[in-house]
Amino acid sequence: MTILTGKAEVTRRLQPDGSGVLRKIWEHRADYAYVLPAIAVMLIVIAYPIYYTIELSLFNTPPGLQLRDKIFVGLDNYTAILKSPVFWTVTSNTLIWTAGSTFISFVLGFACALALHRDFAGRAILRAVLIIPWVISAVAASYIWKWIYHSDFGIIGAVLVGLGLSDRPPNFIDSVSTVLPSLIVVNIWREFPFAMIMMMAGLQTVPDQLLRAAKVDGANAWQRFWHVTFPHLRNVSTVTILLLAVANFNSFIIPWIMTGGGPSNASHIWITHIYELAFGRQRWGVASAYSVLLFLILMSLGYFYVRALSGNEQKDGSE
Amino acid sequence: MSTIAETTPPGQARRRIRIDGWRWGGRIFLVFMLLYTALPMIWMLITSIKSGFAALQFPPQWWPDQPTLASYQKLLDPQNSVGQDFLRFFWNSLFVSTATTILSVIVAVPAAYAFSRFTFPGRNFLFFAVLLRNMFPAVIFLVPLFILMRAIGLVNTHGSLILTYLTFGLPLAIWLLKGFYDNIPVQLEQAARIDGATRFQAFVLIVMPLSAPGIIATAIYSFIGAWNEYIYAYTFLSKNEQLTLPVGIQRFFSENTTDFPGLMAASFMMSVPVVVLFLVLQRYFVRALTEGAVKN
Repeated sequence: MTILTGKAEVTRRLQPDGSGVLRKIWEHRADYAYVLPAIAVMLIVIAYPIYYTIELSLFNTPPGLQLRDKIFVGLDNYTAILKSPVFWTVTSNTLIWTAGSTFISFVLGFACALALHRDFAGRAILRAVLIIPWVISAVAASYIWKWIYHSDFGIIGAVLVGLGLSDRPPNFIDSVSTVLPSLIVVNIWREFPFAMIMMMAGLQTVPDQLLRAAKVDGANAWQRFWHVTFPHLRNVSTVTILLLAVANFNSFIIPWIMTGGGPSNASHIWITHIYELAFGRQRWGVASAYSVLLFLILMSLGYFYVRALSGNEQKDGSE
Repeated sequence: MSTIAETTPPGQARRRIRIDGWRWGGRIFLVFMLLYTALPMIWMLITSIKSGFAALQFPPQWWPDQPTLASYQKLLDPQNSVGQDFLRFFWNSLFVSTATTILSVIVAVPAAYAFSRFTFPGRNFLFFAVLLRNMFPAVIFLVPLFILMRAIGLVNTHGSLILTYLTFGLPLAIWLLKGFYDNIPVQLEQAARIDGATRFQAFVLIVMPLSAPGIIATAIYSFIGAWNEYIYAYTFLSKNEQLTLPVGIQRFFSENTTDFPGLMAASFMMSVPVVVLFLVLQRYFVRALTEGAVKN
């Protein structure tokens, strides 16, 4: 180690300060060979599309994507979005969808993790069963629930009628007032296992001595949870909630397959709306402008995500 | 998975009762969650063994009068047109997912290793740039990638899917693998270096074998992601013979509007491979997923 530092100092004395970064890059040229394939793929399939989306958002592109005929319109696509009443419906749907799904998934997942933390017979099997909805495809989940909600032959409607709670089976996903909550129930079904996995892993890092010490001091179960366990899980909770929020914000399959955004936009969220604008109505410019706005929102969420993750690393002392 | 069992000191009956209260609350909650989780899947299975006529009754038959495996037979019968389609979708999904998995691992292994071990300029920036990709939905990339695929003639080919699936497979693989490499002591490599191995040899001979569980977990994660992917396949493919299962099932559904037993059977068969893979290797998988987030 010491020999290496000495050598570096000698070279630095010989070279002007300005070339420091370039020299460092040159010294590490072998390292880049390892990441180069990854970076190349990312540039083609991520950096280029982002650039192209920004460009398209400033143009009016005719249906059929005849790129030669596109017309520069400046920021017209953006103003068109903000003026459209659909924008506000879709935005409020997105907020309800994201906040509702994230919050309830997290609480249910966390509660499951706590209940599963202590060992009991059948724990491993129970945990495995609870995780399954998260693994199966969202497409399969959408069809299963579409069948469960079916307005003529759905099982929930049949149970409600059977118990005398309803005269006829309710139209869960065909009615404006119930469609969004019904879809959120499906989404939570798929997502709470993720929160459960994350929080179970987090719970295992809670130092047992602390819990025992609190117990000796006379703290009851709730106090131990609130003052010892929960603060200890702050980092993993933050990361989990952020990941859930981003995933929910970006949901597509469940609303698209179950309702296609209907009835009358009641279950359209940003992503499904963008998809319909682009590939349904072929309004490529407006869809791209939406994508750019979405990109900006996600970048700011990403900032918090990175901060939460680097907070972890700092505590770890490895960074 | 090592939980230290809670020990209640003997002779403290009152405290034990209170703890039992929480425990019973937890159990009741777990039963509720079990019902919420399992009932939809059970209903899928029950519907899949009904005849088309039995499925469309009100009130529904809780258990079919005449359970039948006809839907499964139809899906798996290569003589039948439905079976031909379904088996082809299944094969397409298998091919695309496997190809994506292999490519992701080949590209991600060295990259994750570099992010874990080396301190080259721009390392943090590049790593977070990779990580941030996971925040962006497929829809943002859809229009430009569609144009790109059209320009290079990949629309309606599986190549377009394999290439685009790397957009989400790769960042995830790099992130998961980096967590594994971080946990392998660097001293092992240093020892190999002292014995005369080059850095690359140390990586291939020492680190790769040790990270095998991580590579397996990452591969499965990529596979499941590709297997379940819907939106790119839905947009890029239009020819029936190329569709993957998620999109194929949708076609199947829209052509046979009332065949709910068939749809449920198809959903079940589509879920089997990933659920089996997941359950068998659950331990590695969960560890890989949570590695980064629970460090303390």
